[in-house]
Amino acid sequence: MKNAPEQPSLRRAVTPWGSFAWGYSDVGADIFVGLGLVLGAAAGASNIAFLFAGLVYVCVGLAYTELAAAYPVAGGGQYFVLRGLGDIFGFIAGWAVLLDFTIDIVLFAWSCIDYLSKLMPVLAFTIHPWTHFAVVFLVIAGLAVLNVIGVRESSAFNEIVSGLDVVSETAILFFGFLFAFRPEILLHTMSLNWPTTFNLMNGTSLAIISFVGLESISQAAQETQRPASVIPRTSISLILTILIFALSYSNLALGMQPWTPIPVDAHGHAQALWQYLGNEENNGSAVSVLASLIPYYGALAALYVPLLGAILLLISSNSGVFGSSRIAYAMSQSQLLPSIFQRVHKKFRTPAVSIFVFCGFAIVELVFAALPSLSHSLNAIYAHAFRGEDGITFLGDLYAFGAATSYSFVFVALVALRIREPESPRRFKMPFNIPFTYKGVRVEFPVVAVIGFLGITSILAFTMITHLIGRIAGPSWILLGLLAYLIYRKRKGLPVFRSKAHAWRKQQVQILRDAGELEMMDEYIANIKATDALRGTKGSA
Amino acid sequence: MNNFVRSETYARARLVSGTIMIVLGAMLLVGMFRQAGFDWKGLPGYVLGLALIGLGIVRYREYVLRKKRPSS
Repeated sequence: MKNAPEQPSLRRAVTPWGSFAWGYSDVGADIFVGLGLVLGAAAGASNIAFLFAGLVYVCVGLAYTELAAAYPVAGGGQYFVLRGLGDIFGFIAGWAVLLDFTIDIVLFAWSCIDYLSKLMPVLAFTIHPWTHFAVVFLVIAGLAVLNVIGVRESSAFNEIVSGLDVVSETAILFFGFLFAFRPEILLHTMSLNWPTTFNLMNGTSLAIISFVGLESISQAAQETQRPASVIPRTSISLILTILIFALSYSNLALGMQPWTPIPVDAHGHAQALWQYLGNEENNGSAVSVLASLIPYYGALAALYVPLLGAILLLISSNSGVFGSSRIAYAMSQSQLLPSIFQRVHKKFRTPAVSIFVFCGFAIVELVFAALPSLSHSLNAIYAHAFRGEDGITFLGDLYAFGAATSYSFVFVALVALRIREPESPRRFKMPFNIPFTYKGVRVEFPVVAVIGFLGITSILAFTMITHLIGRIAGPSWILLGLLAYLIYRKRKGLPVFRSKAHAWRKQQVQILRDAGELEMMDEYIANIKATDALRGTKGSA
Repeated sequence: MNNFVRSETYARARLVSGTIMIVLGAMLLVGMFRQAGFDWKGLPGYVLGLALIGLGIVRYREYVLRKKRPSS
């Protein structure tokens, strides 16, 4: 019998620094978009909104770190949910993440050009909408081509700019806290400008936008050398770094003494720094405006931070292209999406079809978001249909919905996997576990996962309560995807509501072997034998 | 880039930045405590200070591990 031709697989070209850079490039840019929006909504409680979302994010990060190190495959969250909760939940989680990544591509490419327009006014969206649209379109198309050429090339690009960004943001933090931060101003601002409960919920739901990105590092796990040891190391640094930046910017915005007077608002009234950063004029470039107001360093920052912001946003958009193609690749391998999405380019060994399809989705979203500004007649229709929300705000709503939905499922999956697969070696575990015996085997219940689940479902509830359009459009995306999934599974003759048979143990051995984690593989096989002996069942590995 | 990340210069830069973070985090904790005391409004500042110290310690540990195992 002839052997079937070997399916080309993703190559392991991402180094530890590259792994950090993939995650950082996504999350580091989020604060550039999120800061102004959160300040506009949560006012004097913006740092509390970032703190709540940040602590939830730490829980999410720890969950992803544990799971990505134990199951280093490209699917990220959707793979963990698929494995822990079954096919249909795996699809829902993956579909929510795909929504996020396609929006990520558009939202950050769009914002990238907004930041650049501070240096090149010809790109300003409000003055030249067609030019802005064309440039964003070209950026998305260019990133698609870059990603098809290969992960090493796009990864190297990410690594260099991420390094520069970390240095620069650390400098902003350092000079800001050393020369301009006053704790008494922070406390005064918080006391005087505390928002309504509705606005605080709105701000918190927007703050989670600033913490979307660990999905990238778990996807890079399949392309990382020795992921079980590398992923925990890079993830902990990443979690702390992004938490620090988000808390720093929000605390500085509320408690900083600017070195130049804040201009009066459009009505001639004096305004506080946080109001200035959160108004319509500056909320799209709040980080660069904040940096320019830091004593001594501000003069230099005003020159390069818009460019820095643009670069960060560009690599975040690139992470969206990378992430969406890898998730689609993994979902296709699990027969949650048609097999065309797992086709790998013969020369470059990258998932070319997935890249082009989801960049295509991103282009559709771009057109949707840009249409009101390109056509005045459509502007009136949008204003009526979307209750005054513009296209980009609508995408932001969906972004928060997709992230909160997928993260919620990941927490449940982590608990399920701890109980169902205790034999799987974990080089990293979330802290605070309660040991108990289940079917004769000792397992550990993760308390932090429950805390994280409660936190992220709160944020999902805040999103549904405070975002008029997101509460309809988000669930609609899930339902439409689910309908397509059911039709696909029925046509393929696969179980529609139940899961198909998965050889998880065999697959896990292969995953660990491919990852070069041979010690873990041996440990896994030994654990299987011991678990089966305890439970009186026959293993399949 | 990878060569630079593996170099001694990079390791020392991380050690220096880690030390700065620990100092900055400690200064922030003290400054916030002097103004806010046990008021919950000081919480974001305290968490930020602790996170800075935490990241500084992570970087310091990385440096020490690297010294012990130069190939890692």
